[in-house]
Amino acid sequence: MISKEKMPDHIQLEKIDDYRWRIPKSYKQGMRVPGLIYASEKLLESIYPVRDTVSEVPGGCLRQPISNGVYKDKALEQVANVAFLPGIVNNSLAMPDIHWGYGMPIGGVAATDIENEGVVGAGLVGYDINCGVRLVKTNLQYEDVKDKIENLVNRLFSDVPAGVGSEGNIRVGTKEEKEILLKGARWAVEKGFGTEDDLECTEENGAIQGADSEVVSERAFQRGRAQSGTLGSGNHFLEVQVIDQLYDREACDTLGLNLGQVMVMIHSGSRGFGYQICEDYARKMVESLSKYKINVPDRQLACVPVNSSDGKAYLGAMRCAANYAWANRQCLMHLCRQAFEKIFGSSWQKLGMFLIYDLAHNIAKIEKHEVNGEMKNLCVHRKGATRAFGPGSPAIPERYRKIGQPVIIPGDMGRNSYLLVGTQKAMQETFGSCCHGAGRLKSRTAASKSISSDMLLKELRSKGIIAKASGRNTLAEEAPEAYKDVNEVVDVVHNAGIGKRVCRMRPLGVIKG
Amino acid sequence: MKNYQVLEHTADIGIRVKASSLECLFKNAGLAITDISAEKQKTQYPQKHKIVITQKADNIEELFVNWLNELLSVSSAEALIFEDIRISQITENFIDAIAVGSDIRNYKVNVEIKAAAYHQLKVQKSGSLWQAEVIFDL
Repeated sequence: MISKEKMPDHIQLEKIDDYRWRIPKSYKQGMRVPGLIYASEKLLESIYPVRDTVSEVPGGCLRQPISNGVYKDKALEQVANVAFLPGIVNNSLAMPDIHWGYGMPIGGVAATDIENEGVVGAGLVGYDINCGVRLVKTNLQYEDVKDKIENLVNRLFSDVPAGVGSEGNIRVGTKEEKEILLKGARWAVEKGFGTEDDLECTEENGAIQGADSEVVSERAFQRGRAQSGTLGSGNHFLEVQVIDQLYDREACDTLGLNLGQVMVMIHSGSRGFGYQICEDYARKMVESLSKYKINVPDRQLACVPVNSSDGKAYLGAMRCAANYAWANRQCLMHLCRQAFEKIFGSSWQKLGMFLIYDLAHNIAKIEKHEVNGEMKNLCVHRKGATRAFGPGSPAIPERYRKIGQPVIIPGDMGRNSYLLVGTQKAMQETFGSCCHGAGRLKSRTAASKSISSDMLLKELRSKGIIAKASGRNTLAEEAPEAYKDVNEVVDVVHNAGIGKRVCRMRPLGVIKG
Repeated sequence: MKNYQVLEHTADIGIRVKASSLECLFKNAGLAITDISAEKQKTQYPQKHKIVITQKADNIEELFVNWLNELLSVSSAEALIFEDIRISQITENFIDAIAVGSDIRNYKVNVEIKAAAYHQLKVQKSGSLWQAEVIFDL
């Protein structure tokens, strides 16, 4: 059943401290927990313009929106809607890169108690299941690549299939596709597209357990078959970057990172395979709302109990897509390594192209976290948010256990990207989660109107950044001004303590789908 | 003139479609997918592919989303861009149509639409006019 109740027409935000804001549970009838938003005043303005003055209220300051709460961006309303989920615990969380999604906001984290009516939702993970990012280091210095960057970008653009309709050179049959769904990145490693070391440095070692290819539709198989080893379009990218700032010497030493070092970042997901799984199950979940007597204010939040047969089937299929994405990024990294080998005339091992880490942005995972002093089995949904486990966690590679899990935060193509590590505070406050990027600020149409792709190319080139895109408008739509300033986003998570800055990169070469 | 209007959305893209009949509403929304995502290049592969699309749902809004998602899904699976849609039967719970597709290699595809979402979905009739709003995940 969908609630037909009239919703209040504006959100009252309570300021907890400089980096935390609360949407009280009383905001909407039906909210089971409050909303908790990590943001600075400045970042909040983009999704919540307010009057200059704030009035004091018990428990903090009350922010009153201007223009009667009629905003273009509905992200905060979506944070409140997520709080309706059966079994949700602690808070409906939003990271500082939050923006309007469809159902759950991008930058949202929600955990449900699976032994207490907890639900899982296909729309809470999104269409691009395990859209994620991986960061590869090299032993090259800026001086080594600065005169070759154009050649390198051209080579990467021609060797890494990008854009819609692009088909991977790594072709697979149905039987092999099923193998990918169970083995994930290991499938690629067994094909010779990487090493055991790569798997160790991938979340879930590149293959989450519990994938069930029997609950995947034939259409999903059909859509996935031709797309292994393809980058995709839109905000998916491949970047050559250089480290321009170190923040944490100990973590940098552990990770083998230094100033001026050249890095490669890859952002891609599960392509059509994942979209189809989300669509198949989102449709079933919408149809099952009355069966499970679940009441959510937006059909895109349709969900089913984790412990139901429908919930188990979705998780089985979603894990197949997650594994497909890890295999995909492993293949993409292999293609990158080959491109570097061609340009620099040396093996990727000699070029020091080792994986720092690979993590998921869109996923639901069963994890144990403390809730009101008790350890609980939770279904943690991260939609445009990353896992950020703190030091000591057995879920992260032993080599990183002292510093915490690497957290990779891509920015826009004109500014910076960051490497952080997870913290104990994130374990306590956010189910070990952190932000996933800069977060969009402007719509694609607004971004395209403000700058042309040609102008942007020139502007980037003047900053020493060479960019190439497959789609005609992709560059303009993905222009730096379309995004929030990642530096501000990272300031918030660092200062709030849910992530710790390690180093900052700036882009040298950009490939967009 | 376009048969749809673009609605601003921070991360994705929304469309509003108006039509005098349910048939036109579904057809125009279906063809908006092609208009948003692709532009025709030289026709190298002239063969047209006719795909039968049948969908049902509990209500008109879900039928609308199911229809658009099926078009997106078939388009991706078969590597086709739909140039024409012929609806043979439509009610508020059922649609039977033929989508006529051209090989994707005849097009430059600029943006990938992942799916049509339920968020802020509206299909309404006001007087004699049908109107629909839907957000596509890009």
